Amino acid sequence: MSPNKNASPLLWGAMALGALGVAGTYAAAGPERFWANWILWFVLMFTLGLGSLFIVALEHLVSARWSVPVRRIPERLATLLLPAIPVGLIALGAIPVLYPGARPEAAHHPLLAGKAFWLSLPFFSVRTLIAFGLVLLGLVVLVKGSLSQDSTKDPAFNLRARKFAPAFMAIFAVVITLIAFDWISGLTPEWYSDIFGVYVFAGAFLSGLAATALCVLHLQDQNRLEGVKGDHLYNLGAFLFGFTVFWSYIGFAQYMLMWYANLPDEVIYYKVRLAGAWRAITISLACLHFILPFFALVTRDSKKDPRRMRRVAYLMLGAHVLDMYWLIFPTLGAKPLFSWPEISFALFFIGGILLWIRGAMQKGEDMPVGDPFLREGLEFRL
Amino acid sequence: MPETSYAVLGIFDTPNALMAAIPKARAAKLGAVEAYTPYPIHGIDEALGLRKSPLGGMVLVMGVIGALTALGFQYWISAVDYPIITGGKPIGSWEAFIPIMFEVTVLFATFTAGLGMLFLLNKLPFFGHPVLASKAITGITRDRYVLALEAEDEGFDSTAAAAALRAAGAVEVEVLPAPDRSPFLTSAFILRTLGGIFLACLVAGVAIYSLTKWFPLLKPMVYMQDQPRLNAQKPSAFFKDGHGMQKPVPGTVARGHLPTAVGSQDASANLVNPLPRTPDVFAVGKKVFTTRCEVCHGAVGNGSGSLTSAYGAKAANLQSQQFRDYPDGKIYWAIVNGKNAMPSHAPYLSERERWAVVHYVRALQRAQNAKDEDLKVVAR
Repeated sequence: MSPNKNASPLLWGAMALGALGVAGTYAAAGPERFWANWILWFVLMFTLGLGSLFIVALEHLVSARWSVPVRRIPERLATLLLPAIPVGLIALGAIPVLYPGARPEAAHHPLLAGKAFWLSLPFFSVRTLIAFGLVLLGLVVLVKGSLSQDSTKDPAFNLRARKFAPAFMAIFAVVITLIAFDWISGLTPEWYSDIFGVYVFAGAFLSGLAATALCVLHLQDQNRLEGVKGDHLYNLGAFLFGFTVFWSYIGFAQYMLMWYANLPDEVIYYKVRLAGAWRAITISLACLHFILPFFALVTRDSKKDPRRMRRVAYLMLGAHVLDMYWLIFPTLGAKPLFSWPEISFALFFIGGILLWIRGAMQKGEDMPVGDPFLREGLEFRL
Repeated sequence: MPETSYAVLGIFDTPNALMAAIPKARAAKLGAVEAYTPYPIHGIDEALGLRKSPLGGMVLVMGVIGALTALGFQYWISAVDYPIITGGKPIGSWEAFIPIMFEVTVLFATFTAGLGMLFLLNKLPFFGHPVLASKAITGITRDRYVLALEAEDEGFDSTAAAAALRAAGAVEVEVLPAPDRSPFLTSAFILRTLGGIFLACLVAGVAIYSLTKWFPLLKPMVYMQDQPRLNAQKPSAFFKDGHGMQKPVPGTVARGHLPTAVGSQDASANLVNPLPRTPDVFAVGKKVFTTRCEVCHGAVGNGSGSLTSAYGAKAANLQSQQFRDYPDGKIYWAIVNGKNAMPSHAPYLSERERWAVVHYVRALQRAQNAKDEDLKVVAR
């Protein structure tokens, strides 16, 4: 992804170093911490890929023209779902360790007994496999179809994608809700929130948008994506800006209702996250995920400014990592854990993700050259 | 009055053609260049060389003022002017303020955007803009894009302007004559407008009054006061016992009144006095002791108060060795729960006052049994 050709050995090195730490985590820091980190990175990879696939599907759904020239970027990012699926299959090993609903004791728990079937290991795994299958279907229709259109130049793909997009939106809603409920809020099965899936969706979409904006800027640095201009960047920025507000709206709505009702089984979720060092993390999450990007992107010119957009996109990706950490790690204890295991996992997975994206960015055309609307998209002006 | 034109309009089919023509029209320097389009076109302000609109900054400032106004107002009414605990939440809970802060922010921001645009920047009220009289106006409000060269002085050359617009790619050109009346607000118009508003109010008022009088079943609106709700001192069919007002759930604790010293006196021995020994605390302790304790326990706590003779039971001599050896917690327990003939003082004393009086009793005991080092402190 970077113009520097020597970055690849560096990434492989980071992955190798991280892999050592990952193995060491299981041996030295215990399986719980290992699996919590593993789930964190599985969810991050999956939401980034799924958020990118959502951008692609959204374009087909509303027949957007402006995004056609940059569509190849989220399509390539969405292929991150392919490595995310084996990571997710390995993560099934975490279910008996970290998920209280899948343990045999759950059958005698007054709150969990009724949900025991839903939370049990077999059904949990089946649901995850169904989600993976649905995601693969989306990838095949939307991404593989678009890639093959490069050579066939067959406009029938656009019609097919347009028909499939509404169905994919339903698939997307089911998959992101399953991932959010099962993998994230399943860690605290006594707690529930109807809007939790929407909250995770907001973060996933933001991370997809931020990664798309970053890759567009990186490719432009290498004089690729000719014809993509400030107007396209502006639209990505407007989406980012709008959805930071959406994320905080959903996050705060969830918090405020629980804070008001003050029911013990609901409010405990925030009680944990507002005590001790987690309080500082919660406050910084609100600043990094909402206040900072909001004011950074509030003016019109800032959304066209490549330097500003690049910083905000990096910030957004970091804030998404913090957001998922904030959702997952309080289950490990009252003290936020951050030490060599977390760093090794980050090295391993960030190295792997960057290698994958880097590889994807080198393959094929940078724009959907077979799309009949590409010209219109390139002529797009706000 | 010399024969002048107000402007020459060049009509374009697409926004791109209009945008391409703007630099050419500006380069001709024949008059002020203005564009009329059915919808806002991004980047047209820069192309026309307009200064950056101050509206965004105004909206931001007013939005922030709106948020702060709502925050300050809610905090003032609910925590300063009339502090009241709602739903068991602490005084001044910011979480509850956020939705209203959000609404007021939006209100201030949108009003600033709308009214600021219309009145400050577009200089309304401004009637009968000359372009409204043009033939091109039907296109402008639909699907045509118009670039106008507007006269800035008497020397405006409409023929040259028309030629320049054609050269810039206009598919059609229209010369607009100068308007024959002032486009600005006149007193006749103000009177007509106010009269119209008055008449409309009159008609609506009479109609509503007579309709509700003759057809009382036709309510103009469903009043909020008619909705089913619970009233504190009225009967209600909602609850089984028929009362609107219900007792709190068993175990409910009022904020700031967490029960303390609930066990036996010995179990409370380990309670630690949370208050520091400061002059303020001793002043509170002295005041409480004087008003509530002194009548029985005496001014120095030796059990010979003015009411001792009126009671059969003798008040405790707090100066005795037994009470000097008491831990703070046991004195506190006695204040909260009462002991022997002494009643509980918990209903009358706040948490702070109870612990303050414990400190004060300690001071009384120390004063009556001063040691040598106490004298040294005084001498220094």
